[in-house]
Amino acid sequence: MNLDILLRSALAIGIIALGVGAYWLLNQRLLVRARNNVFTLFKTFPNKPVIVYFTTPDCVPCKTIQRPALDRVTTLFGEKLQVVEIDATERPDLAKVWGVMSVPTTFLLDSRGEARYVNNGVARLEKLMEQLQTL
Amino acid sequence: MTLQQPLQKVDHSALKTNQLVIIILNLLAFILNLPMLAAFVALVMGIGSVLKTPGFGIIYKSILRPRGWMKPDVLDDNPEPHRFSQIVGFVFMGAGSVALFLGSNVLGWVLVWIVIALASLNAFGGFCVGCAVYYWLARFNVPGFNKQPPAGFFPGMKPKAGASG
Repeated sequence: MNLDILLRSALAIGIIALGVGAYWLLNQRLLVRARNNVFTLFKTFPNKPVIVYFTTPDCVPCKTIQRPALDRVTTLFGEKLQVVEIDATERPDLAKVWGVMSVPTTFLLDSRGEARYVNNGVARLEKLMEQLQTL
Repeated sequence: MTLQQPLQKVDHSALKTNQLVIIILNLLAFILNLPMLAAFVALVMGIGSVLKTPGFGIIYKSILRPRGWMKPDVLDDNPEPHRFSQIVGFVFMGAGSVALFLGSNVLGWVLVWIVIALASLNAFGGFCVGCAVYYWLARFNVPGFNKQPPAGFFPGMKPKAGASG
């Protein structure tokens, strides 16, 4: 009985790990997609970290949380960082090629133009700062 | 022809509670090998489908919300796709339970795990597969499916606060 429960628990953990792994792979795929589509935004990359921020006019958390967080990192990093804001309703083509399914979505690109992080949904200031420190 | 109709207020905390309870009970049913518990989940989802409310939403309404353990997350959304999603879940859980009681353990637990996976995707990823199916059926003008996703959102993705159609 106990061995059966242990085996089933192990199996459940394995299946959950597989699910988490699949989600991680999906995010990696999104990053690869972003890397392949950097040219859709830049002819020449600015040689500094870039945040690509997808939003829409009626997205309230974009205005109340995401925008202020981005303003704050822009203030803190100054010329060392560029934020590119894209209205997904005006540029659905870009939202599509970058694989954006909801807003806000933020991609963090390092100074070589490599997409390093993707945040589906609101990315708070602390999270953005943490991610930017590693770029 | 599908028309953009006014959205309603949908408390996503009730939906999330429902999903989390379904995940936990199904995991317990699997680990402890309790087909009866899986059948109970199916029954509650069935009752919820009939009453047009999240089956385990009562836990949120009577315990979690009054005690402040979970705050309301009221968004402009269509309730119909979520109801449809619960019906789909009920069908999977019902079929899974029947399979388990008939001795088809592999089929039964696979169906239960599909429900766990879809509920997890909804609870943790904000993507409702049943809702996406609903919107696809609406797109193909299937009778009874006439709602469109909130403007600016991928069909099935959880809308954000303040979004309106």
